[in-house]
Amino acid sequence: MTPSPDKGTRDAPVPTVKTLRTELEKGLRAHRSGARPASVMEMSDSDGDGRLVMNFGPQHPATHGTLRSIFTLEGETIVEADVEIGFLHTGFEKLGENMTYQQWVTVSDRMNYLSALNNNVGYSVAVEELLGIEVPPRCKSLRVIMCELSRIADHILCVGLQGMDLGAFSIMLWAFEKRELIYDIFEAICGARLTTSWTRVGGIMRDVPEFFPDLVYSFLDEFPPLLTEIHTMLLNNRIFVDRVKDIGIVSEDQARSWGISGPIARASGLDVDVRRDHPYLGYENYDFKIPVQTEGDSFARYMQRMEEIEQSLEIIRQAMATLPSGPVVHDDFKTSLPTKDAVHNDMESLIHHFKLVMLGHGIKPEPGACIYSATEAPCGELGFFIASDGSDTAYRLRVRPPSLYNYAIFPRLVEGGMISDAVAVLSSFHVIAGELDR
Amino acid sequence: MESTVVDMAANDAAYDALTPDLQSLVIDQTEHQGQVALTCKTEHQRQLLEHFRNEQGYDYLVDVTAMDHLGMDRPERFEVVYVLRRIGASGHQFRLHVWLSEDQAVLPSVFDLWDSARWGERETHDMFGIVFQGNPDLRRLLMPEDYPAFPLLKDYPLKGAGERRQFTRVVPRGDQMVEEEPEDYPTSIGRGMHTPEYEEEVRRDSKPR
Repeated sequence: MTPSPDKGTRDAPVPTVKTLRTELEKGLRAHRSGARPASVMEMSDSDGDGRLVMNFGPQHPATHGTLRSIFTLEGETIVEADVEIGFLHTGFEKLGENMTYQQWVTVSDRMNYLSALNNNVGYSVAVEELLGIEVPPRCKSLRVIMCELSRIADHILCVGLQGMDLGAFSIMLWAFEKRELIYDIFEAICGARLTTSWTRVGGIMRDVPEFFPDLVYSFLDEFPPLLTEIHTMLLNNRIFVDRVKDIGIVSEDQARSWGISGPIARASGLDVDVRRDHPYLGYENYDFKIPVQTEGDSFARYMQRMEEIEQSLEIIRQAMATLPSGPVVHDDFKTSLPTKDAVHNDMESLIHHFKLVMLGHGIKPEPGACIYSATEAPCGELGFFIASDGSDTAYRLRVRPPSLYNYAIFPRLVEGGMISDAVAVLSSFHVIAGELDR
Repeated sequence: MESTVVDMAANDAAYDALTPDLQSLVIDQTEHQGQVALTCKTEHQRQLLEHFRNEQGYDYLVDVTAMDHLGMDRPERFEVVYVLRRIGASGHQFRLHVWLSEDQAVLPSVFDLWDSARWGERETHDMFGIVFQGNPDLRRLLMPEDYPAFPLLKDYPLKGAGERRQFTRVVPRGDQMVEEEPEDYPTSIGRGMHTPEYEEEVRRDSKPR
């Protein structure tokens, strides 16, 4: 945009983030005093230098959550970007210091509500590592199967939303239709669809129902054609391809330095995957590839997710073929909850259950023990740093959310681009506000 | 603190690769479930991290966080934790714990070594009030800008210190809704923030330890 003469020249001082914020504060104060309507949601050009300050979010359809970006615009080009997060801050880490280890499983659901199951598993794996217990083989395999199903649900949703943000609305509807199959499986194993709370420290809630293999195998039959359909639709869609190619490029060095993980890092050529580098739950026993792209743009991130879905399907097939039988809960009931059937029919299990759920008893790791345990969630590396003081609650429970470190680079990627590019970049980053803010 | 002091020749590659000068800066080595944690003092943090980044090639800073040891029998109140990893074939990973005193809760920033420290330090500052000197963008990350306290400190109550009562409230008066300014509620960082009523409430709601 060429600034009109009466709007001053480009030599005028560039507004810094601080002045932008002062502007916003002024607007808010004026609103409170009833002087004039809030300028927060409208574009302002108070300096008269032809630059506009625009709030992108927190209530914008393309942010898919409560993410606020403050863009300084020259015409439609973003010259300066800043983000503000924390709108969904809920104090999960503080809660972790005040809830017992088993209780906090339900909180882990609420972090990344699109892949709650991966959070359940990640947290349980971390506490089990802190305690030094190993879950039975059947539990491991079931966790792997469910984790990979959840990863597919998360990736396919991200791809669908990426299509939706860029005008290909039907992709989202197709993705949602097949995602329902996965959510039916979740419902069959634990009764819930979104907030699953499926795992327990030392095992899982209960064994899967008899018809579980039928559900999974019918999903494995029905799902793969969707991938071809989506590829056909999007790769032949000129608008989609033009809008995501060469947009929001993250280089390999940037990905390494900024601590980026998951599909975004691998789309940039940074070959990291916790499942291979630090295997947990027996991932080393499955034969799967870690796809890696080189371009690092939004298109590469789309391709990366689609290829990862194929690998996840492969892992599920192998895990279903080798699913062992046996118990699903660790057999030391000083740390693991006995099954409900046993609690109702067996005096000893009832006592164990009682001891575990009473406040002040429960799981007590050794005092002074610290652990950093990471698992590969769909968004990237989900880490838990847990420190114990020997009581039944954690002394410190730190969550290393993948979205937080992935999102930090976002303002730099959109600077210099157009507003519509910011949408294309954001949808390929798949930032979950609940996990970002915790 | 019960901890297993590891033999020098144990599985800690990061410690073994240090020169004797630098090894003397590591005041403690602990190991739990095969994970090694090195501990150092505040003044040696930057030197050690620079060495690990530049000489030993730990190119991936996984996480920065802290712990508050208020009232515990520890050398200092704060313990800042860096999780370092080397990307590639070995994938070696360890933690560096840094003791930090309550009176001088300032550490040099390492954002120039790893960009991921920018937001990691920012969140640690937001939650514990620790200042990372040199970090170009040490604004609050998750809490509001004008928030008067640091919520992950152990002396900050789970239910908050009354900040929510400081917002302007819209209350019905007669048949009109009017804005009411917040009452002057005493808040400050640390223990002084509790009123007797609030402490009673917290005591009633808190679980037995």
